[in-house]
Amino acid sequence: MTSTSFAKATADEKQELRQLLKDRDDRFWDLLRTRTDEAASFGEMIFLAGLRKKAAASGFADPRANPEESLKIALIGGSTLFPLSDIIEHTVSVTSGVVSIHSGDFNNYRSEIDDPESSLYDFAPDIVFVIPDDSTCRYTGRLIDGPERVTEQIESVANHNLELCRLMRDRTGAEIVLCNFLLPPLFDLGQFSTKAPASEWNFRKAVNLSIAASAPNYIHICDLEFLTYRLGGLEAQDERSWFESKQLLSPDLQVAVAKETAHIVGSLKKAAKKVLVMDLDNTIWGGIIGDEGVEGIELGDTSPRGEAFKAFQTYILSLTDRGLLLAVSSKNDHENAIEPFQRHPEMVLREEHIVSFKANWEPKVQNIIEMAEELSLGLDSFVFVDDNPAEIEIVNQFAPEVTTILLGPDPAFYVRQLKESRLFERSSITDEDANKTEQYKRESERKKALGSAVDMDSYLESLEMKGVFRDFDRLDLPRIAQLINKSNQFNLTTRRRTESEVEMIIEDPDFTGFTMRLSDKFGDHGLISVVIGKRDGDVLEIDTWLMSCRVLKRQVEEEVMNEIVARARLLQCTSVKGLYLATAKNGMVKRHYQGLGFSTVRGNEEFGEYQLSVEGFEPRPTYISVESTARRI
Amino acid sequence: MSMTRTEVLERLQEIFDDIFLDEVVVTPELSAKEVEEWDSLLHISLVVSVEEAFDVKFRVGEVEGTGNVGEFADLILRRLNGTNA
Repeated sequence: MTSTSFAKATADEKQELRQLLKDRDDRFWDLLRTRTDEAASFGEMIFLAGLRKKAAASGFADPRANPEESLKIALIGGSTLFPLSDIIEHTVSVTSGVVSIHSGDFNNYRSEIDDPESSLYDFAPDIVFVIPDDSTCRYTGRLIDGPERVTEQIESVANHNLELCRLMRDRTGAEIVLCNFLLPPLFDLGQFSTKAPASEWNFRKAVNLSIAASAPNYIHICDLEFLTYRLGGLEAQDERSWFESKQLLSPDLQVAVAKETAHIVGSLKKAAKKVLVMDLDNTIWGGIIGDEGVEGIELGDTSPRGEAFKAFQTYILSLTDRGLLLAVSSKNDHENAIEPFQRHPEMVLREEHIVSFKANWEPKVQNIIEMAEELSLGLDSFVFVDDNPAEIEIVNQFAPEVTTILLGPDPAFYVRQLKESRLFERSSITDEDANKTEQYKRESERKKALGSAVDMDSYLESLEMKGVFRDFDRLDLPRIAQLINKSNQFNLTTRRRTESEVEMIIEDPDFTGFTMRLSDKFGDHGLISVVIGKRDGDVLEIDTWLMSCRVLKRQVEEEVMNEIVARARLLQCTSVKGLYLATAKNGMVKRHYQGLGFSTVRGNEEFGEYQLSVEGFEPRPTYISVESTARRI
Repeated sequence: MSMTRTEVLERLQEIFDDIFLDEVVVTPELSAKEVEEWDSLLHISLVVSVEEAFDVKFRVGEVEGTGNVGEFADLILRRLNGTNA
């Protein structure tokens, strides 16, 4: 982009805002928020601040701001506070509503804090923003002094500033935003700058560390050291404006500080996000699972793109350590969508990390609304991330409370995008503890169960699983038919039946059809397995045996086996016959019957017939406590 | 990119429109005393905005030496043209 076209674009954007203001159109406020968020230059920020003031002067108010709740912010410090105060007033009011500002006198902050009668205390601030006098962060001894003497002064500077904050806190109850100290971005001492504890570079870094390490929760550090690093040290300071008007921060750094202050103030009130809802295809792996299959998706260390997606998953998983819940909303068949979570070796995210997994063909916004109900959380605690602008748009339209992140075209930058959204920060540990929801507890319990399970047995035992077997029931017909027609993977014969065909089985004395439901201490998995047996003389042939892959490795198949034998006994059958009919998708149950102790009658790649004698069958032990009419007799 | 004095004044008008709440008409003769809003604080924002918009850097103390907008425009032109004076 050439500089002229950039200037033109800016002029157009300015014109759009001016026009909306002139029309007193409420969209003015949303656009003002977006532009303020994106503004990087001082001139732009001053323009936006000016427009906001013009709107206020003409009595055109932000509909989101409550005039009853004005936030009082005092700015004090050791350098000129204008125009910083102007842009802080702007950034905070577009994010947090009505603001009134009090600016202290130049470098008079120590006496303003000390004197209980000062204008600072008259103002009764909710928030005090402090930029300490930069010249006080200085080692007064000799450059060759050793660490002990230097440490003494480091602590003295840090404590002095913390003490000033404490005094203000005691007198006002205000939250304090404390700027730390700038580092010198210039060559001066060379090697000595890096090696000597007394050098300005090392001394200032140490003071910043010491302040941060001892700051209580009511002190929020506006990290000038970090903001300067982001911006570039040489861009952060401007000697001329120091000499002319005692400005400590360059215009660009003032913009960064104003944005950071708005963020700190905003996060004092806003509740943290609790759920991250992810799309799947081209969001957490490359490619389309429904088209390319679990072997075809791009994920993992075999390609740079695959690595990028894996890194994104690793970052997402790390967010659960901060108490965030993960959920999936994807336009896919459930079986396809869940398969990588279960068996792709490079998947970092696994089924157990996902609190709600919705892969279906419903609009995603519908899924998110359902999740909010299931988890008893407000939509405003949800973040939705997708690479598809259309999906993002639908959520923005129908659930505007949800925060959305539209991923850019390059997965290499996905992690950066999530971090830069600043949606997953936490202000303090105690805050987090206080805001714990039932869901957080459930999630942590789930993790505890996984973490403490040294082996599968104790994990399964800790789940406190309950299984319920029932004969086919008309009420269950839709779900039974659904499983019969949709299950591909854990399905021994893949025989499809309509609802009325299933209904006929209920009537037919030669058939025995039953279902299994599973629940555990984390919740109800619902109806997850279906079996149809057909009596043929003294043989019970297993016509259909299928199971939802959600409950793989839970000993469900063992318990179903126990149930089959119990029913065979009731029907006075002496043996059970198992069949395996291979399809493109049911390879996972190829050795199912052998694993359960059946002997092979005949078989090849495509077909297998197996036999088990009822007499002498020992029920297989499991950690599922079972309710079954067949076994009570 | 070489600008004329008139172009500089036009660009200054845009900056004034952004910064001042009331309408201020830029003329070469205009000075801070004639504009109520134009105090020493607003002056800081004005200088920074001008430097940014024209991509120039003033030297310490020299903006203070300009008596009106015309002289300010001449200073901008000197810095734009890299004149060492």
